[in-house]
Amino acid sequence: MIVTFIFIILICPLASFTFFAISSLMGRKSSRQDLISTFAMLIAFACAFLLFMQVLGNPSIYKVAGASTHTTDWIQIDNVSLPMGFLFDSVTSIMLLVVTIVSSLVHIFSIGYMHGDPRYPRFFAYLSLFSFSMLFLIVADNLLGIYIGWELVGLCSYLLIGFWFEKDSAANACKKAFLTTRVGDVGMFIGMMMLFTKFHTFTLFGENGIFELVNNLESSDLTWLSIAGILIFCGAIGKSAQFPLHTWLPDAMEGPTPVSALIHAATMVAAGVYLAARMFPILTDVSSLFIAYVGGITAIFAATIAIVRWDIKRVLAYSTVSQLGYMMLAIGAGSYVAGLFHLTTHAFFKALLFLGSGSVIHALHVHHNDHDDGHHDDEHSDQPVERDGIPPEQDMRNMGGLRHKMPVTFWTMLIATLSISGVPFFFSGFWSKDEVLGATLERAMESGSAHYYILFFMALVAAGVTALYMFRLIFLTFTGQPRDQGMYEHAHESPKSMIIPLIILAVLSFPIVNKWSVKKYIEQPGQVHNHLAPEHANQFVLYAAAGSADHHDSTSHTAHKGHSPAHNIAMGLSIFVAGLGILLSALFYHWKTFSAETIANKFRGVHRILWNKYFIDEFYDGIIVRATIIGAKIFGGIDKYLVDGLVNLVAIIVNYIVAFLVGLFDNKVVDFLVNSVAGVTWKFGGRVRRVQTGVIQNYLFVILTGVILLIIIFRLLV
Amino acid sequence: MLLTSMIFIPLVGAIIVLLVPRDREDAAKWIAFLVTLIPLFLAVLLYFQYDPTSVEIQEVVETSWIKAFNIRYHTGVDGLSVTLILLTALLGPICVGASWKIEKGIKVYLSLFLLLETGMIGFFCALDLFLFYVFFELTLLPMYFLIGVWGGPRREYAAIKFFLYTLFGSVLMLIAMIAVYLNSSVDPGLRTFDIPTLISLAQTSGHALADPTFQIWAFLGFFIGFAVKVPIFPFHTWLPDAHVEAPTAISVVLAAILLKMGTYGLVRINFAMLPAGMDFFTNGLGRWGNALAILGVVNIIYGSLCALAQTDFKKLVAYSSIGHMGFVILGLAARNEAGVTGAILQMLNHGVISAMLFLLVGVVYDRAHHRDINGFGGLGAKMPIYTGITTLAFMASLGLPGLSGFVGEALSLLGAYSKFQLLTILSTIGIVVGAAYFLWTLQRVFLGDLNPKYEAIEEINMREIATLIPLGVLTIVLGIWPHFAIEMFRNSVVGLPLQ
Repeated sequence: MIVTFIFIILICPLASFTFFAISSLMGRKSSRQDLISTFAMLIAFACAFLLFMQVLGNPSIYKVAGASTHTTDWIQIDNVSLPMGFLFDSVTSIMLLVVTIVSSLVHIFSIGYMHGDPRYPRFFAYLSLFSFSMLFLIVADNLLGIYIGWELVGLCSYLLIGFWFEKDSAANACKKAFLTTRVGDVGMFIGMMMLFTKFHTFTLFGENGIFELVNNLESSDLTWLSIAGILIFCGAIGKSAQFPLHTWLPDAMEGPTPVSALIHAATMVAAGVYLAARMFPILTDVSSLFIAYVGGITAIFAATIAIVRWDIKRVLAYSTVSQLGYMMLAIGAGSYVAGLFHLTTHAFFKALLFLGSGSVIHALHVHHNDHDDGHHDDEHSDQPVERDGIPPEQDMRNMGGLRHKMPVTFWTMLIATLSISGVPFFFSGFWSKDEVLGATLERAMESGSAHYYILFFMALVAAGVTALYMFRLIFLTFTGQPRDQGMYEHAHESPKSMIIPLIILAVLSFPIVNKWSVKKYIEQPGQVHNHLAPEHANQFVLYAAAGSADHHDSTSHTAHKGHSPAHNIAMGLSIFVAGLGILLSALFYHWKTFSAETIANKFRGVHRILWNKYFIDEFYDGIIVRATIIGAKIFGGIDKYLVDGLVNLVAIIVNYIVAFLVGLFDNKVVDFLVNSVAGVTWKFGGRVRRVQTGVIQNYLFVILTGVILLIIIFRLLV
Repeated sequence: MLLTSMIFIPLVGAIIVLLVPRDREDAAKWIAFLVTLIPLFLAVLLYFQYDPTSVEIQEVVETSWIKAFNIRYHTGVDGLSVTLILLTALLGPICVGASWKIEKGIKVYLSLFLLLETGMIGFFCALDLFLFYVFFELTLLPMYFLIGVWGGPRREYAAIKFFLYTLFGSVLMLIAMIAVYLNSSVDPGLRTFDIPTLISLAQTSGHALADPTFQIWAFLGFFIGFAVKVPIFPFHTWLPDAHVEAPTAISVVLAAILLKMGTYGLVRINFAMLPAGMDFFTNGLGRWGNALAILGVVNIIYGSLCALAQTDFKKLVAYSSIGHMGFVILGLAARNEAGVTGAILQMLNHGVISAMLFLLVGVVYDRAHHRDINGFGGLGAKMPIYTGITTLAFMASLGLPGLSGFVGEALSLLGAYSKFQLLTILSTIGIVVGAAYFLWTLQRVFLGDLNPKYEAIEEINMREIATLIPLGVLTIVLGIWPHFAIEMFRNSVVGLPLQ
């Protein structure tokens, strides 16, 4: 039954896309594609929900990862076998639920948001294709299957970022996204090849799966395994926009906002976290630390950039990068549950923030329908101009006071902001972020390693900064006086189809839903180094305890040890930094006690670095991209002038030698040769004859004749 | 019988087309189209008739031909041949369809094309080395005229270059072939060109053919002959020129089939018949390690970097072919199941995908009359279907999973990685660069603001879509379920001297 449901979940969105593709090929416009896609997604959601109920009914079965079902041989040659199958456990069921919920809501939201777009049906078809790919990625039971889904979501991301491809910025952004992630994917593929060469399988769970076979490794293989783990994680660095491959995600905001919410906040970018979590059992101490550092650095690094952005979507984009870093940090710190828990809560509140920002943009955009004809200065002479390349309707410098115009958008976004900032007790983000911080501190205290203390500190600072920039966004957008009266006048609350998804997501940002589902039904698997290195043997139990510590649900952790002091410290500190962040934000942007501009001017250097995103884009464009193109041009030149030049030179030399030799013969001999051997050519008439006119060609043909002669001689010899 | 009719029906068709009266040239097109449908039909029949579970060569036809040299007309197929015959037969009607707009000497053109088809199908069936060579050369002549007469502005240069390069290769091949023949005595005084016999002789220890030194030299001769066709660096410079000048349909055949003749020869002759030579060039060169793999990697990296530098759409696709054929060489060099399966799959997939790419270039060239990538822009708004199909083909070519290009590449790499890690890792550069040039092209041609010159550009028409659909469907089907192809040639792979 599970298999049937999984099939339905996959087939619905795929069928919706196929329908669109075929009708376009036949030259018809699939005019009700919005309803088809949305409906397909709702069916998928219903199935995902039923599957989730299955898990609720049998937590003991599905908690244990590794229920591979319906395996079939995808590729089968004598000794090489690449089976494909579905994997169903509690993680799968939760991921399916998260993706189908967010995807359904984004579909509904888009009906209003994308209304009137000339490529309206195509948008929904792409959303369907994306949903299919993402769901496939989740249910695949082996690395190759994950990789297939992984690349397909990359394609959809490419198509959707470049949805308004007439804009050069969008065209650049989609290419950048695809290529940057591909760099990571190549690393991932190398890691996969390493594992495959060792274990002869891509399957993760089960008797002959990687996670079982990995136990047979010797301790001396740990270095090898660390490298393999890090390489596979490279895929996650690309896809989840971790430092240093994060630069594509902010640019990806060129895509329509619902896309940003679905792909570039809630689901696809979280696939990297999902991958890291899935590979959790093979992570060694070294690869865990690597992952933790990547996550920690990303978390703080992206958060600092977010403080100075004016584009509402970019703030959220950097925020996403930073939050993904948190999830990675959790997994690196050895808390699988915390990583996935934060993934789930983040999916809802970040999707909400993006859709909310979409609602704001929709309200401020004068002509939402025609993206083609640029600006509309003629109609509204007071229309604000584009500053720093930010479209006016996304520029927070043009907003302010919007809560009076858009109360629902304001309140729902405020809930999400409280959640992401880690405001205690009533919001899901607080709980999941606390898990991450607690897990890191716990790891630090247990291992006594300075690394994890540093990481904890970084995460803590990032938490404070998160609260700061998120409230900055809320204050700048919704409170105070409108800074652009014209746009303010024009603004309006969004239609119902857009508001309802916001309200649903706001409900999902309260902790009850997430805590009830995620924490109770995910069980952390063991890690390989525990088996290999006996001195760590008891760590597994400890991580599990850290991961599943739960305040409200006393039954879930009675078996484990109680709430650790690390968690209490972490919680206290996280409440403190969140409060500090909000306070600072209010002082600067609400009460205006201090002026942000003064500070920016005072620390001009720092501001410049942050504004320019640490100059990483400049480094990539100026050095790596340029070097590649120059390299390519050099190769192209070598090919054209050197290699081909040599070929032509050889031809000319041979040509002269043969011409000299031929000159020794009587003209008649030559005539005879040319006419008899190459006579076929001559018969093709004048047009063909022109092929042989011109001196060089004549000589070349003489060579040809010589060669043919050579063949004849050889034939006679034999 | 099936094979014989498949080989010679196009030849008969070639003559019939020539006999069409001058004022009924439209009829010639339809006749040629119908004629190419027959081998396609027969190939599909062959697909169902062929028993992939058997290791035997099937559909054998064998008669004496030139008694003096014990040359026999010996044809038959194994899974590898069937795969490539299917591809060839499929491209027949597609190429005729793509040639519909040619006006100059259409009768001669079509008859040369049909002659070419005879050569190609014959080549993939031939089991006698001499016959093999005859068919190999038979493709050369029509190709020369098809490029030299119906090509672009520099057609003469391109045609002669193509001809001389190939001839250079085939002379070496001929010498190697004669050397093999001279050493092939079964009984005293009785020599043979029979490929299956030669294969078993080469593995009989003590036989002159099994001598490693001999095999190394013979390997080299055949290898250069085939390397020109594949093409393997540094024998590749004819390819971009030939492609740029050739008319669309001929580019399609060139990329899809003629290049495969090179790799097919490598598998049939170098791999199967000269195992000791193969040993030498895959691990007998001391610190050079696996020479064949190095060549594969050079092809991949060099081809993709050169492709990145191109501004001519067709030249870009041509260089991408060089890169993609590198994966075939890499997979073969691995000499294990995954590698060789990947290599053969890549041959098939490259055939399908490159055919699509050249057809697509032809579509836009017919409208814009130029191929400068920088001279387009924003066509996506005016030609959505064309853009969609091109995106599909590009994605397949850059190895997007779910489409066929990925499976061959991935298997080649998997096989290669278990043998030579560093080289395989190096070759993955090609994967990133491959994505870069295709996406950059996509951007320059289809994205951004519409170039006002192409305000009125016409969307791809039904005839063009019809030529692309079979290939597009195949790309998707083989990407989702590569078993269809792998099952065909699995036994051919297992039958090779793997390591």
